[in-house]
Amino acid sequence: MIDDNSKNIIELLKRGDDATLHKIYVENREAFIKFSKKFNIDKSDAADIYQDAIIILRENAINGKINNLNSTVSTYLFAIGKYKIYQFHRKNSKVEFNNDILIEEKNIELDVNHYYEKITNQQRAIKKHFSKLGERCKNILILFYYQGYNLDEITEILNYSNKKVLKSQKSRCIKQLKEFMKK
Amino acid sequence: MKKFDLINKYFTNSLTPKEQLLLNDLLQNDKEFKKEFLFEKDLKKSISFNQREELKTKLQSFEHNIQKKSKVISISKKWLVAASIILLIGLGFFFIKSSFYPSPEKLYAQNFKPYRNIIQPIVRGESSNTIEYRAFLAYENNDYHKAINLFNSIDSQDATYVSFYKAMCYLSLDKPSEAISLLLPITMLSNLEGNNKKLSEKADWYLALAYLKTAEKKKAISLFSTIAKHPTITCKKEESKILLEYLN
Repeated sequence: MIDDNSKNIIELLKRGDDATLHKIYVENREAFIKFSKKFNIDKSDAADIYQDAIIILRENAINGKINNLNSTVSTYLFAIGKYKIYQFHRKNSKVEFNNDILIEEKNIELDVNHYYEKITNQQRAIKKHFSKLGERCKNILILFYYQGYNLDEITEILNYSNKKVLKSQKSRCIKQLKEFMKK
Repeated sequence: MKKFDLINKYFTNSLTPKEQLLLNDLLQNDKEFKKEFLFEKDLKKSISFNQREELKTKLQSFEHNIQKKSKVISISKKWLVAASIILLIGLGFFFIKSSFYPSPEKLYAQNFKPYRNIIQPIVRGESSNTIEYRAFLAYENNDYHKAINLFNSIDSQDATYVSFYKAMCYLSLDKPSEAISLLLPITMLSNLEGNNKKLSEKADWYLALAYLKTAEKKKAISLFSTIAKHPTITCKKEESKILLEYLN
């Protein structure tokens, strides 16, 4: 069972709450670096992998992968980390790993693959122009496309009078982005 | 429902199966719709990359701070260890020194004993009212405050023995400075006779002890070596030699 505290942590992770991220980072870091050592990962690589694992952890929180499962945030983090360590070795080694090295975690469903997609030129262009948008637009688009909140939720979070106003604001933001890209 | 609402629903995973079919249909047949849909998909990806980069930067700054802190801690840990070792060695030396080489304070305590009364014989049960008698009676009874007062009342204040026994009282009362100012003149006198001569010979010894007490080690050493090397004085020679060994 996920207790209220974990639920709360998951929600805070989703929001990208600084204090929560920092707490998770600090609390698990030492153990993760020790853990990585067992897999022949040095400290600086371990920190890098650890950071990526936290990013994936957050995305799993966003995608609702963590919500329904019976495990602590740390367990998730280490499961993700283990997977990342495996990938790290595969990337940095000419030796083919057998499938049996593939790490499986019982009771944990993780979405780690989408993280390794390569960025396309179109996406890179959007990313570049996205940064020119105002804070308001950025917030709406991030909440909607990244943090996975629906329009009703965003209406509440950003204090819009109603969903319609938000929806048209969102359309204007996208339009503005497209115009930036035409120039 | 407007067709573009389907795109919003797609991104919030809230399409009904029916709407899903409608979406698929539009994607196949409506070029404008498809373009918009793909744009938003790319937008989602772009924002994801963007957010990951931002979070990565944030996490790297956490890491940076931790490493900075742990450096400070590990440096201070090193110093702590160094300081502990020094402290242990220091304590070790202190204990060794204090067991094999007692402190001047301890040497003083081990060696100081108020000189016996050689001036005024006190006969128990006999009472005399002279100030001198009462002074030495107080002295023998270890009542040094009273003795000092009585010695101060003696007419012949210049008498060597008065100074000497007053000094004994002050030393007994842990007031070495007063004792020194009384004993020093006695050690300078060379034309003494009888009891006073005897006392002046002891004065060096007591003065040296007083210097031990006031931690004037050099002066104490100089006096102890005078005693140790003295051609005629025999008393306290061995003690002085032993003390010199401890002090050097």
